Amino acid sequence: QEAATLIADRLEIAGDQRLIAEGSVEVFYQGRRMTAQRIVFDQSSDQLRIEGPIRLTDEEGSTVIVAAQADLASDLTEGILQSARVVLNQQLQMASAQMVRSEGRFLQLDNAVASSCRICAGSSTPLWEIRAKRVLHDQAEQQIYFDRAQLRFGGVPVLYIPRLRIPDPTLDRSNGFLMPKFTNRTDLGTGITLPYFVTLGPSRDLTFSPTITTNGARSLEVRYRQAFETGSIAVTGTLSRDRIQPNDTRGYLVADGLFRLPRGYRLAFHGEAVSDDAYLTDYGISDTDRLTNTIQVDRVRRDEYIAARIINFDTLRADDFPSATPYLVTDSTYVQRFRLGALGGEGAFRFGSHTHTRQSSNPLDDPNPLEPDDIAEGSDMQRLSFGVDWRKDWVTQNGMVLAALGEARLDTFNITDDAIYGGRESRLYGAGAVELRWPLVRAGADGVAQVIEPVAQIVWADAQDGLIPNEDSRLVEFDEANLFSLNRFPGNDAVETGLRANLGVSWTRIDPAGWSLGVTAGRVFRDDPVAGFSDASGLSGSTSDWLLAVTAETSGGLNLAGRMIADNDLSVTRGEVLAEYATPDLWLNTGYIWSIADLAESRPSRVSDLVVGAGYQISPGWQAKASGRYDFEADQYSSADFGLTFKNECMLVDLSLSRRFTSSTTVRPGTTVDLSIELLGFGGGTEAGPARMCRR
Amino acid sequence: CGFTPAYGPGGGAGALRGRVAVQAPVTKADFDFVARLESRLGRGEAPAYDLGYAISATRQSGGITADNETTRYTLRGTATWTLTDRATATRVAGGEVSAFTSWSATGTTVAGLSAEDDAARRLSVMLADQVMIRLLAAAATLAR
Amino acid sequence: LAQTSINLTGLRQDTSLPVEVTADSLSVDQGTGQATFSGNVQVKQGEMTISAGTARIEYLADGQGIAKVLLDGRVMFASPTDAAEADAAVYTIATGEVVMTGDVLLTQGQTTISGNRLVYNLDAGTGSMEGRVQTVFVPGKANP
Repeated sequence: QEAATLIADRLEIAGDQRLIAEGSVEVFYQGRRMTAQRIVFDQSSDQLRIEGPIRLTDEEGSTVIVAAQADLASDLTEGILQSARVVLNQQLQMASAQMVRSEGRFLQLDNAVASSCRICAGSSTPLWEIRAKRVLHDQAEQQIYFDRAQLRFGGVPVLYIPRLRIPDPTLDRSNGFLMPKFTNRTDLGTGITLPYFVTLGPSRDLTFSPTITTNGARSLEVRYRQAFETGSIAVTGTLSRDRIQPNDTRGYLVADGLFRLPRGYRLAFHGEAVSDDAYLTDYGISDTDRLTNTIQVDRVRRDEYIAARIINFDTLRADDFPSATPYLVTDSTYVQRFRLGALGGEGAFRFGSHTHTRQSSNPLDDPNPLEPDDIAEGSDMQRLSFGVDWRKDWVTQNGMVLAALGEARLDTFNITDDAIYGGRESRLYGAGAVELRWPLVRAGADGVAQVIEPVAQIVWADAQDGLIPNEDSRLVEFDEANLFSLNRFPGNDAVETGLRANLGVSWTRIDPAGWSLGVTAGRVFRDDPVAGFSDASGLSGSTSDWLLAVTAETSGGLNLAGRMIADNDLSVTRGEVLAEYATPDLWLNTGYIWSIADLAESRPSRVSDLVVGAGYQISPGWQAKASGRYDFEADQYSSADFGLTFKNECMLVDLSLSRRFTSSTTVRPGTTVDLSIELLGFGGGTEAGPARMCRR
Repeated sequence: CGFTPAYGPGGGAGALRGRVAVQAPVTKADFDFVARLESRLGRGEAPAYDLGYAISATRQSGGITADNETTRYTLRGTATWTLTDRATATRVAGGEVSAFTSWSATGTTVAGLSAEDDAARRLSVMLADQVMIRLLAAAATLAR
Repeated sequence: LAQTSINLTGLRQDTSLPVEVTADSLSVDQGTGQATFSGNVQVKQGEMTISAGTARIEYLADGQGIAKVLLDGRVMFASPTDAAEADAAVYTIATGEVVMTGDVLLTQGQTTISGNRLVYNLDAGTGSMEGRVQTVFVPGKANP
């Protein structure tokens, strides 16, 4: 049976079974620790009469009781404390004239005040407080029960709650209401959402979030989560009735799961379905315009990658003709890297299969300006590919890295429901290249390092020509990663052939203390153009666009990355800049995307899209955010958002307003205002903010 | 002007060639990152250094048209890396590199899918090339 | 469970009983009338035995009895139930007061009290300990 330890400056052993300890007294018992000024230990009744200031801390330090005076049992489990205050999880404080502690588990406070706000010496009214006739804190169940409670803001009573139960901050999961949210959305009016959380055992839970709005919209969201030993699933479904589509029930369902399979494999699935194309935008759930249902199994090892997936597409796009775009895709990939010892170089075998089907079985291509290809509306494809690539490099005397590269691939296609391309077709493709890199370095004494790396590649590639539709290689990008790759088409349908020279140089200055800058420039010169490259890719013609990429970073907080491909006359084909400037109080970010129009990419109009965002920490508690997206092409704002957040040690108020100006046949411009108020300190999971400073 | 070939005598990069063991991959992004780095660094039998890394990427939609359609996606990635001397188990170099790739979302579902997968692969290649540049710079300072 | 209690009634002692002192050697100072016992000294009075390295006896002015016993070396007070030890102790027979100093340790059953200085009245069975007093005791009720 464990012993208790009592330490004091002076201990008097009085005759009548009493011990009197005085002077910074400390008692340790089973992890509990108490400090006081004077303790009289009456051994006959096994009682401690303690004179304060008393401070009693439990094992994990999550419950701290402070009192002026107390009569407790010697094992500190029972007794009465006068003018006591209990602090839970260093956040929630409850005070009362008298506090009764019983069975080492319960703490009862009469006429108590509970708040997690700092109470400054001058003004005694905290930002919010809950006053109650009686508060019972059950440490075993980690629950706090309030009788005849009254919620007050700044001392003003706001809400009267006869019986209230709130989880103790140390409790991870407990049934009960979560913090309410207020939302105002165009066409839906102002609504309140009051989520209720239900735990179903240690590994499952349900959250019901009903919403009702002033303009007659009713919505219920149910989220179910379950954790298994080898994985977890999460399913969220919503059902809504509103005046936007008065006579039907609208809704949305999304399910996600991730599981570990034996022998290192992993299974992941994602499914989503929606009642109508506008629902996701009307209720601000997400901005995706294509729903996907996927099941994927994969395994990743150092030298081997195996993956198989099935994807079903459900387009919400106004201009997609559902039947004309593949709705079911299957892919399988097997990559095995190999090395041929010191002399032989290294490479990889690549096996792949791919199928896609369209609902329509119309073998002809309806001319459609948005789909300039000549692929039939109902064209389905199955493909098998076998490939191998190889690379061997040497370092020459003067530090040049000379490399020989090669790759070959056999693709066999079987196409149905397509008058032009129907039938079987196969194509053998091969490429060889010589690459020369000459990295030069300069290490300055002051820690500043510079690296210049000129690279030149001579590539020859050829492929049997075959009647093969280009479905998966229409969207080609030109950047630093594929400046030196042998085949820049993203998919297997098209291959890059011909003789060409890829030339480029990168210069990087690295100074962790000061500023770092990286510049890459490159260009492709070829004997004759490759038809599959569209203008917007920058790779069309016999000389490609100039490629210029920049990354910059300063220790002062600036972070910039940009890329541009431009013609000789410096007219930019495609460009993108991302920049952030972050200091502790102020952060700015901006992004600009530019692209020419290109029907080969089904892009009828140019893109000129600017996003600017800023955030400012006005004071330790207040933070303001604003962002806007401007579409220069349509010469109008696409969207604008404003946010104001107040967060201190006991309260979080988050107000956000977002306005979307874009509209289409299914989507109307709309404004959303979200307000959420959270009282911190009840284990809501939200970190407390900086405490208010008490002015002396 | 102070520049010397990295793989030349004064460059120090020779000490890394075939001597760096790259941490095993867990995700497909790691797989492409390791494949690229190992093909540029070479993989020998007696590594003297260990390269640890962590890759993260987020996708942003962009090029929003007047009728609220996303026509461009951008994948922004960062890789934090450390080079540890295996003999002394001390960190000799490290840092964070970042890069981004983007692709068009205007084609059919099949075109969009392969464009997205290729963009993810290219991001891993870019991050590996950026780490390679930092390694060449570090080798120069180590060699001094 | 027996009600354990911390009291020193166990050390209580009728100080009017005769005191018997035994030791390896004795030397007497004719001038001051002081006798010094040394070598595993034992002072017995009723059920209490005090053992020490050396014991100096100061006699009453009229020479008819012992006024004080000054004990050195590790002094041990032992009674059938309790024990107390210290570096040095002064026992004034007339008042029945013992002052023990230097690493004082009181043990009684499972309870121990340690401190720098203990003033204890053998007749009343009361006393007080000073210096950073540390008491280790077993609370009465079994904790739920």
